[in-house]
Amino acid sequence: MSDKIRNIIMCISFSLAVGVLALLCLVLPKEEFNFMERREPKPMPKLTAESILNGSFMSNFEEYTTDNFPFRKEFRALKAGTSKYVFQKMDNNGVYMWDGYISSMEYPMDSDSLAYAGSRFSYINDKYLSEAKNVYFSLIPDKNAFMAEESGHLSMNYDDFADRMTEMVPFADYIDIYPLLSLEDYYKTDTHWRQESIADVAEHLLTSMGTSGDNSYTEEVLTEDFRGVYYGQYALPVPGEKIVCLSNEAIDSAVVYDDFQDKNEIPVYNVGLADSKDPYEVYLSGSLSYLKIKNPLQSNGRRLVVFRDSFTSSLAPLLLSGYEEVTVLDIRYQMPDVLCSKVNFTDADVLFIYSAQVLNNSETIK
Amino acid sequence: MLFSSITFLYYFLPAVLILYFISPKKLKNAVLLLSSLFFYAWGEPKYVVLMIVSILSGYVFGLLIEKSRENKSLRLTFCFVSVAISLSFLLYFKYADFFIENFGRVTGLPVTLLNIALPIGISFYTFQIISYTVDVYRGEPAQKNIISLGAYIAMFPQLIAGPIVRYSDVARQLGDRTLSFAKASYGIRRFMLGLSKKILIANQLGELCNIFRESDEKSVMFYWLYAVAFALHIYFDFSGYSDMAIGLGKIMGFDFLENFNYPFISKSVTEFWRRWHMSLGTWFRDYLYIPLGGNRVKTPRWIFNILVVWLATGFWHGAEWNFIVWGLMFAILLMAEKFFLKKILDKVKPLAHLYVAFVVLVSFVIFNANDMTMAISDLGGMFGAGGVPFVSAPFFYYLRDYALVLILAAVGSTPLLKTLMEKLCKKPVLSKVINVAEPVCLMVLLAVVTAYLVDGSFNPFLYFRF
Repeated sequence: MSDKIRNIIMCISFSLAVGVLALLCLVLPKEEFNFMERREPKPMPKLTAESILNGSFMSNFEEYTTDNFPFRKEFRALKAGTSKYVFQKMDNNGVYMWDGYISSMEYPMDSDSLAYAGSRFSYINDKYLSEAKNVYFSLIPDKNAFMAEESGHLSMNYDDFADRMTEMVPFADYIDIYPLLSLEDYYKTDTHWRQESIADVAEHLLTSMGTSGDNSYTEEVLTEDFRGVYYGQYALPVPGEKIVCLSNEAIDSAVVYDDFQDKNEIPVYNVGLADSKDPYEVYLSGSLSYLKIKNPLQSNGRRLVVFRDSFTSSLAPLLLSGYEEVTVLDIRYQMPDVLCSKVNFTDADVLFIYSAQVLNNSETIK
Repeated sequence: MLFSSITFLYYFLPAVLILYFISPKKLKNAVLLLSSLFFYAWGEPKYVVLMIVSILSGYVFGLLIEKSRENKSLRLTFCFVSVAISLSFLLYFKYADFFIENFGRVTGLPVTLLNIALPIGISFYTFQIISYTVDVYRGEPAQKNIISLGAYIAMFPQLIAGPIVRYSDVARQLGDRTLSFAKASYGIRRFMLGLSKKILIANQLGELCNIFRESDEKSVMFYWLYAVAFALHIYFDFSGYSDMAIGLGKIMGFDFLENFNYPFISKSVTEFWRRWHMSLGTWFRDYLYIPLGGNRVKTPRWIFNILVVWLATGFWHGAEWNFIVWGLMFAILLMAEKFFLKKILDKVKPLAHLYVAFVVLVSFVIFNANDMTMAISDLGGMFGAGGVPFVSAPFFYYLRDYALVLILAAVGSTPLLKTLMEKLCKKPVLSKVINVAEPVCLMVLLAVVTAYLVDGSFNPFLYFRF
């Protein structure tokens, strides 16, 4: 091939590649929701004199073009593949896969964040829990704790983490669940644990809080095509996995309210959400701020109040058989005073149970 | 607007190139000027007015200087006023707060900072306007067509991060330039090479620098890893931008001068500055150093000239003391090389390379600090001051994580690949293979850089702030 032909081919191929993609940017219909990334793409910004002069039109337009680029999913996979296989990078956007499991590299431990979480828990204890029967604290390790050492990634020292956190909540008895967990107890593509793998954790918590429950369950598979939150960040194709719901008599008979007046009933497992943007929300309909679960089969007079994050959505039903009533509070979306003022803590067991990720990034706790 | 953005690559560039190529020859400069003003307004919607005023000022004073060709003092006055106006914009927008803050420090008086946002690229286009008026003062014909002058000053390929194009270098091309497949093909190659350098290497090393800066577990080796990463980062960032600018210029028929020539292979600081940001070095040489007398003066005056030029070079990069220290550090090293050091370095080449590597690493650590306090802290950390441990877990992790990027960057900063390609191209069979493979490789690179852009990563050009 002569230089002349090479030059012509170069110009034509570059023009075609840029031109075709540019044309597709203009004509392809835009998605309303990006299921892989679990978010709405940036819409086309409104063109006004103000938005031009303050530069917001331009910055929003840049985001719009990136979010709505043709074949975005495939291009993100190409980037992730290049990063992993060509540049031999150990993580992509802070997320990595090892032995089929995807995790974010939660590191380093943020002492200030732990102190802040501890201060919020202490505030609740001092103001509302003087009449409570017992106060407990438990820590849910993230997947990285079980992967990092072998995969060569950075991870927090969980003994230090637990020690630091328990120092922050001296009013609570620490229930250690770390020895009961392993990597297989978590979803491969999601941050959460599998409900079908944590029956022993629930049993240990109940025993530690001086009660016991029914730990024989039946399993129901709600979907086999679940791809969790890490899938979108990892960007490379991964197979779907199962979401399983556990049931026993207590769960089948449970009545769940999501309002303070005990009027609005919701199911324990909202099976309709199995095909939603976040199928993990089948458990107690996701991270609602307030839930009261009544167990008509239990009459031991025991009540439990759980301060929680999303991990408890799948755990709380398994704690139900040990209590007449389990109240679940999420102070990430609602001020603690708003929630606590509506809850009777007298003679109740109170459990603060949080994942290491939430505690290490505790700015979301109110 | 960033070159390394979807907006530029798939909206602005195709639209401008179509308009540019379908326009008749006499309208091409108008298309270039209007698209350049749009390009600038995209990032600086308010300061585009300042740029238009600067263009008008340069245009009027260029004509006035030419009209007073016979009257030397008047010509000098017009040139002086034009340079003073250009510099006053730069001083106000870039340096006002620096002077106010230091006035407050020295006098102890309470001061209020103006907190003026720095107009993007003002340091570059101010120097181009000064270059134009001084060239006209020295005898270059003034540009009669304001569109052509505006296209020269605002030309988007090199508007915001250089290279600083001298008026005398492109004066003829503004009126008459040729477009060809050969030029466009070279321009595409150069643009893609620069875009890849920026996105695939510089951005990744920039991430490593950010990780280091945010880490609470710094160690001596982590400081050195950061120093190496930043030196390579700034080289690939800036030279990548220059490649893109030169490439885009070529596509549009312009021939810009080179801005980098493998500076990291230098055997002295003197050589380094002949290979690094060459357009800035030659600008200061021709418009400051030589007017001051250059080296054809007595030694004390020469030392003064060197100090002034490097003080200005440092200060041009930023309104902070660390940039001034950075510039003066090079002044001292250049003088030391002139007086005695060069003779020693010439005798021991490995020592010369080690010396340049050490100076470059230290200098860029000073350069990248927010202020002198951070610069001293970073330099101290590199030598274990303050009880910094020798190694830390993040150092080992990120060394392994970025090892290949660092190796590719280190090899890519030398002429090894270029030399290899030139040798291969001399063999007829391989030359044909390369001819076929090159367009394919460039399209693969385009797909990969697009993928990185779509994934939305760390992106700003470092030299935007200068």
